[in-house]
Amino acid sequence: MTVPETERSKISAIMRACRVINRMNQANPDAPKSEGLYYKMLSDYYTRLLNAHDEGKFIAAHTVFFPSEILYAMDIVPMHTEMTTWMIALFLGGQAEILSAGAELGLVPEICSPHRGLAGAFSLGALPRPDAMLWSNLICDNTAKSGELIMEMKKCPGFFLDHPFQRSETEDKYLISELEDMIGFLEGKSGRKMDWDKLSDIVAKMDRQIELFREIGELRKAVPSPFPNRGFLQLLTVDYLCPGQQDAIDYLEALRDELAEMVREKKGAVSPERFRLMTLFVPPMYLIGFMEKIGREHGAISVVEPLFTRWAEGRLDPSRPLESVAKKAAMIPERRSMYGPLGQEALQDLIDCAEQYRVDGAVYWAFMGCRHTCATVKLFKDLLNEVDVPMLTIDCDIVDPTINSEDEIREKLEQFFELLEDR
Amino acid sequence: MRALGIDIGSLSTKAIILDGNHIVASSIIATDEETELSAKAAVDEVLKQAGISLDDGVFIVSTGVGGKNVSLSQQSKSLTTCLARGVHRLFPSVRMSIDLGAESSTVIKVSDRGRLNDWVNQDKCAAGTGIFLQQMAKLMQMPLDEMAGLSLEAKGRADITSTCAVFAESEVISHVHREPPTPKEDIVAGIYYSVVSRVISLCKRIGIEGDVAVTGGVGLNKGLVKILEDELGLSVLVPEQPQLVAALGAAVVAQESIDKGVNG
Amino acid sequence: MVIDIKKSTSLPLKTLERFRQVNDTFPRTEQILEHKRQGNKVFGWLCTYVPEEIIHAAGILPVRVTGYSQEMELEDGNAYMYINNCSYSRSCLQMGLRGEYEFLDGMVAGSTCDGARRLLDLWQHYIKTPFHHILTIPRKYTEKAHALYYQQVVQFEESLEEFIGQQITDEQLHQSIDVYNRSRDLLKQLYELRKSDAPPVSGAETMEVLNASFRMPKELFNQWLEQLLDELGKSSVAHEGRARLMVVGSVMNNPEFIRSIEALGGLVVTDELCTSTRYWSDPVVLEEGQDPVGAISKRYLNNFPCARMVPSDERFNRILNLIKDFKVNGVISQIIRYCVPYAHDLPLLIDRLKGVGVPVLALDVEYGTSGSGQIQTRVQAFLEMLEARKR
Repeated sequence: MTVPETERSKISAIMRACRVINRMNQANPDAPKSEGLYYKMLSDYYTRLLNAHDEGKFIAAHTVFFPSEILYAMDIVPMHTEMTTWMIALFLGGQAEILSAGAELGLVPEICSPHRGLAGAFSLGALPRPDAMLWSNLICDNTAKSGELIMEMKKCPGFFLDHPFQRSETEDKYLISELEDMIGFLEGKSGRKMDWDKLSDIVAKMDRQIELFREIGELRKAVPSPFPNRGFLQLLTVDYLCPGQQDAIDYLEALRDELAEMVREKKGAVSPERFRLMTLFVPPMYLIGFMEKIGREHGAISVVEPLFTRWAEGRLDPSRPLESVAKKAAMIPERRSMYGPLGQEALQDLIDCAEQYRVDGAVYWAFMGCRHTCATVKLFKDLLNEVDVPMLTIDCDIVDPTINSEDEIREKLEQFFELLEDR
Repeated sequence: MRALGIDIGSLSTKAIILDGNHIVASSIIATDEETELSAKAAVDEVLKQAGISLDDGVFIVSTGVGGKNVSLSQQSKSLTTCLARGVHRLFPSVRMSIDLGAESSTVIKVSDRGRLNDWVNQDKCAAGTGIFLQQMAKLMQMPLDEMAGLSLEAKGRADITSTCAVFAESEVISHVHREPPTPKEDIVAGIYYSVVSRVISLCKRIGIEGDVAVTGGVGLNKGLVKILEDELGLSVLVPEQPQLVAALGAAVVAQESIDKGVNG
Repeated sequence: MVIDIKKSTSLPLKTLERFRQVNDTFPRTEQILEHKRQGNKVFGWLCTYVPEEIIHAAGILPVRVTGYSQEMELEDGNAYMYINNCSYSRSCLQMGLRGEYEFLDGMVAGSTCDGARRLLDLWQHYIKTPFHHILTIPRKYTEKAHALYYQQVVQFEESLEEFIGQQITDEQLHQSIDVYNRSRDLLKQLYELRKSDAPPVSGAETMEVLNASFRMPKELFNQWLEQLLDELGKSSVAHEGRARLMVVGSVMNNPEFIRSIEALGGLVVTDELCTSTRYWSDPVVLEEGQDPVGAISKRYLNNFPCARMVPSDERFNRILNLIKDFKVNGVISQIIRYCVPYAHDLPLLIDRLKGVGVPVLALDVEYGTSGSGQIQTRVQAFLEMLEARKR
């Protein structure tokens, strides 16, 4: 069954963009090897998606922070809904269309834009038709409520993965039973069986990935810091799209080696390095290029993103694959500060980051669609104030450029740099 | 080498010449459409007062809305930095300062060394204070300075609930025209209270910390300042010429640059 | 005697006065203060997934944390929780930060929605009520979900026992179940009266009764409600309106909002709110020899669902049942800005209601709104439309 042209258009466009970037990288002798591996990983991901139905494969759409490693182990093709919506915003500037389609579905503007966007994207046929819709309550209500509308719209079956709020023996067992139920559901609908050996292998690779994330995190502590501003989105993509996949490991290893060399040669991503910044939440996706530019202009570099790049302690055990998948869900960076009761551990980690990374200032990207992170703005500001780290708050939207203009953001950042310099 | 600071605001341009700690001269003129012309006019005026010319050696720092693209100045600094310096020069004990400007309000936090620690601006889509008050004065059919002291005579306070200037206008109009009409003092008190409420919200976002100062032209409005003090629960320090604080701060920055140049 | 709804609201129900008194003095109601004077403890709770009977069985007075019945100045709430969290959670935080809940000995919440859980996080950090607890609430109704919720309730009970330094006995739990079930039954009787073509009690008055129920000992509330039902039984008041309406959506407990609808002739005969039918509809069913904690936890997870639960059809079906039972002509959905679960449900709910031919008026509100101005204009238009349909 071939994918109709309207459905192909956005995904092929994303792939075309990746291929163009890749060609540019190949033509540029200074382009790091890791960049090429990253864009290959990305375009392979979307190629699999595009060809899935032609190859008789089962597509499972899933929301963010979802254990898609389960899907890989079952030879089911995953489609990350929020990430693909971000890609459409990032590569194709297609936000307006999908957001307005989301509005037409009756989703109010207060609903987080990636979620309005993914619903809109589905309704426009910009994403391939899923054979199943999988969603969970990680990390917020918007995610927890996305699934049913898509199921009805796309007339496909769905499964909601219920992540318990806290950690305890009973709660961990519940999550494992949820994962078992989900596997049962997928086996029933897809006709594919879980390959437990493959899952073990994926778990081993995920463990390796997490270790690589930690190594990269350590390397970024160096003064000057080697990792460019745009890089952080790439780190996220790895875990969101390709957990436990070899091409992701290849990318991370190449990246780690490049960063290690830069640290050895005392080279920074920006030179001279004048402002070491902690990034809280995430800058608007469509401004990645702008952030890179302004970073170079002012010598400002984001050295750590506690909410997104700090993995909790723990190793995964391939001999206990399902338990490890459950454990990983609790270890993801977003979990500590954005889900679960906001405990001392998460707050202490923020302070530790500020000290370990020798942060000059913090920038909180207050994404208006994200309620539970904005509820920590004042709390984090007060905490960082205790260790004498000033924090700038910028109201923004992750995919919708009409909320705040580039000029306004530039003005705020430059004022902040002036404040930091003055100290 | 003299230190000169210019603050190019949307309504007025201010200039100050400093000699060490001492304000030698100051000028305030209306801002022209051409900010370059305004800057030049303000500078000319203040140089004349000081009895010097540019050739005598003047280091100029510009700030304000029009502060960035001024060919006259050697350096430009953000308004918030200049406010911090200016306030600290006048009141070293101040830790939070509220600038009630023409188009927007800004609350800054100042360190004990006169450094800017934090700032927050008026939210989007809310009327700035100076221009909003001008519009209100027109609606009340009285000059701004007459309206200024009127709220001090109020026995009550009209409820002006809107945070949006457009809706606030219609509320004021309805108060003026109702039968019997709401006393003017009460309406004015209501208008000031709604402005102050928005300012207090900003202060709370940044964290209220004393001592507190008020800068900007609206600082001369005794009625509004009194309501601000009542709501803050703190008395506020208002300089004699609150509109000049940013220009003073710019001049302080100029002085620092001169000192750095002299020593190194 | 048939009385025009516009005039009937001025006819006082004598027994309603006492409920009004409680609401007018909230949060420092005489009952709460008396409870404390006697050396007893008071706990605040958020959300219908907190098992009140457990708190009650511990000898603690459970009081629902709400805002005032009006829109509030939310400067502190905005500063600490940011403007994009729902005005309900900001209102509660505002009151907490201003010390208006300083009499609370404990604060209990469920992991129900982002607003509620962040409210508890910030409450813990900045307000520091002596005891606080959050229960993990599953979003499903499966056997395993029930097992998890049961364990959470047991854990909560144990925490409470530690706090009060005493065991909670089965007998105490039985008693609490009885008291709460009695409340639910009495409220059901109150609602039954509204099924009639010309009910003796209005939607606004019902909301006043419900509000008081969260703010005083249930035993006393039950007594008062019995007396109110008695008075209603003898009353010749009969509210009539232009259409029979149902209010659904986000947390809402301002009687003025309902009053403003009824003043236009819209008879609010029932509602689907966590402060109304979702609060009292389902009793605890305790079988012979059954563990009371088990019965309580089963009831609370299976309760008339909040929009946070999956699948949403469980909630939608119960709404449809209420529409049938109360012969509802039109639904008014009031959703607080940034109330995410209900906002997501809305397109699906409208679709279900279309399926049974019931029109919906969808309003964006702030918590505490009294429904003036623009809202009344829209309600008026809605009523006219419903009347035209009748013809």
